[in-house]
Amino acid sequence: MKLLVNGFETHVATGGKEFEKKLPTVLFLHGSGLDHRSWALQTRWFAYNGFGVLAPDFPGHSLSNGAPCTSIEESGKWLSDFLDAVGVEKAHIVGHSQGFLSALELSKLKPTAVKSLTGVGTAAAIPVNPMLIDTAEHSPTKAADMMLQWGFGHQTQMGVSATPGMQPIAIGRQIMRNNPLATDLQCCADYSAGVGAAQLVTAPSAMILADGDKMTPIKAGLAIAEQLEAKLVVLRDYGHMLPIEAPKQVLVALREFILGVEQYECGEVETLGDESKI
Amino acid sequence: MGRSSYYHPDTIALHSGYVPESDHGARAVPIYQTTSYVFDSVDDASSLFNVEQGGHIYSRISNPTVAVLEQRLAALEGGSGAICTASGMSALFTTFITLCSAGDHIVSSGQIYGSTATLLRHTLKRLGIETTFVSINDQVALEGAIRANTKMVFCESIGNPGLEVANLPQISSIADQHGLPVVVDATFAPPGLCKTIESGANVIVHSATKWIGGHGAAVGGVVIDGGNFDWAASGRFPELTEPYEPFHGIKFWEEFGPNALAMKIRAESMRDIGACMSPNTAFLLLQGIETLNMRMKQHIANTKAMVEWLQSQEQVTWVNHPDLPSNPSNVIARELFPDGAGSMLCFGVIGGRAGGGAFIDSLKLASNLANVGDSRTLVLHPGSTTHSRLTHDAMAAAGISEDLIRVSVGIEGINDIQADFANGLRSAQRAAESQS
Repeated sequence: MKLLVNGFETHVATGGKEFEKKLPTVLFLHGSGLDHRSWALQTRWFAYNGFGVLAPDFPGHSLSNGAPCTSIEESGKWLSDFLDAVGVEKAHIVGHSQGFLSALELSKLKPTAVKSLTGVGTAAAIPVNPMLIDTAEHSPTKAADMMLQWGFGHQTQMGVSATPGMQPIAIGRQIMRNNPLATDLQCCADYSAGVGAAQLVTAPSAMILADGDKMTPIKAGLAIAEQLEAKLVVLRDYGHMLPIEAPKQVLVALREFILGVEQYECGEVETLGDESKI
Repeated sequence: MGRSSYYHPDTIALHSGYVPESDHGARAVPIYQTTSYVFDSVDDASSLFNVEQGGHIYSRISNPTVAVLEQRLAALEGGSGAICTASGMSALFTTFITLCSAGDHIVSSGQIYGSTATLLRHTLKRLGIETTFVSINDQVALEGAIRANTKMVFCESIGNPGLEVANLPQISSIADQHGLPVVVDATFAPPGLCKTIESGANVIVHSATKWIGGHGAAVGGVVIDGGNFDWAASGRFPELTEPYEPFHGIKFWEEFGPNALAMKIRAESMRDIGACMSPNTAFLLLQGIETLNMRMKQHIANTKAMVEWLQSQEQVTWVNHPDLPSNPSNVIARELFPDGAGSMLCFGVIGGRAGGGAFIDSLKLASNLANVGDSRTLVLHPGSTTHSRLTHDAMAAAGISEDLIRVSVGIEGINDIQADFANGLRSAQRAAESQS
């Protein structure tokens, strides 16, 4: 669906079903240079299984208009405005990579809006080599190649795809080269408030990490998981681009966690479970 | 620019799409000879049917062995995805029928394979899809043929059998101005010879039966989505941008972006038309792909030697290959095919049709048959076979003369091919002398 946020048209994927506010909402946030299609194979399940799904393209990304946010703090504010625009008071927030940083800022700004918080392939800070930012400014395609080569794990590099016949590297390349990758990377590089923001999170949280993540090494992901006392899922033999390269495993982890939160809130279960390794 | 892998093409040809499976560690790609796949649960089945997760449901739609071939071919061409089909012709039909509906229009090169010309001229016309044939490198003719209801520009990267190389950058530039995708049948230009997507193609079709297999043992085709066409910006493709009712109103472009076309073909054409590739065929073609780059080097070397040798034979009246300056598309051929523009050549012999017949009938090593791209040398007289259904004018437009002999140069020892052809040329000479 299309939505006006701060005067600019925003594209919001809804998982193939019309968004219904009355259902529990899951908000999916994409990472640097990417768009809503990162979540193509998770959003549909939630939309068809009793949830309202929102997967926006951040401003200036793919199908959304407006200027890209120039800081994580700004993107957190934009998310707050976005939820106001769509009329949602509370949502399960799921952020991949940079999307999780924005989610932390949203959580700081509007803690009541966060029903649960899930980070996928991410950490409290995502330092970026200045050379990569410089490359992204001058040659987005080259920078996208660098990120895709580092971002996808071994199986995807070998051309193996969770969706028969498809090549995720080419798909990611087409999306990233046309999006404001340099701006996104600079936002990540500049952001240092993640640990502080995480201290304010009171909602249940989960971290879905990959042991082969070279962009946000698992050590950093484990640290924020510990700080958040998050339910932890570690996926073996995958890289940073988890929602795309391990869509089913990410979906299984997400739905177990989010369904668990829903059941916990209804009093159907007493705990939210512990960590698991897939 | 298309890129699906950071490995060298030689490595992609051997590995892409498969890592040894965990149960047994099979090094070769297993043949998943099964029609269907057990679902984990009713919910799992439901989510597969609703494209909520990737996976296999039924082998008409997808199959693990076929998927390896698809992913390997997509990686070799730099595409975002690929769909394998029962044949090259079914790959073409699938592409046309996915992008066009009754009332739509295609602009096509006139220099194309006879069966493709028949498909466009007769079968699709019966379904309400019109085609205008143009000289594809004629910018004015190409632009003039585009209408409001045009859905694509279609050409072969190297025309069959006229061997005209399509000026893909120029064609792409014109098509782009009109929001049209360029669909290229690259059968004569197997992966590695030409950077087809980088040169301007948006969709590539191959008859995998040919050089990709190389062994002449399996018939198959593939459609490769270049992932580089903005179906929404074009404004001509509601099939991809508007809700698709049979899948709960899915919008392929919004949901899948760069692989929207491949996903639509999988969801619609494979379901409805069912021209799927068998896992056995995929396995055979995978065996061929493993040596594709090595074979192409030998194909090209032998072709260069044959072109030179034929030009020196007194019974040969003319020789055509894109690498020759006499070929009208030689300049663009050198640009797009730096290592050589394929292993197809054509020539004429003295004695016209009778001379040509005598030449072909006397060959012992080369085979007279309706195929190309085999590792063995193949010859054919198109005027009496593949293009026999065309009118005289259509044959002329396709660049075919009565004396034309089409050669698919194989990878045998070059001296043996030349000795065989020398014997054939002597027969042609005797036929010509008996005519006079």
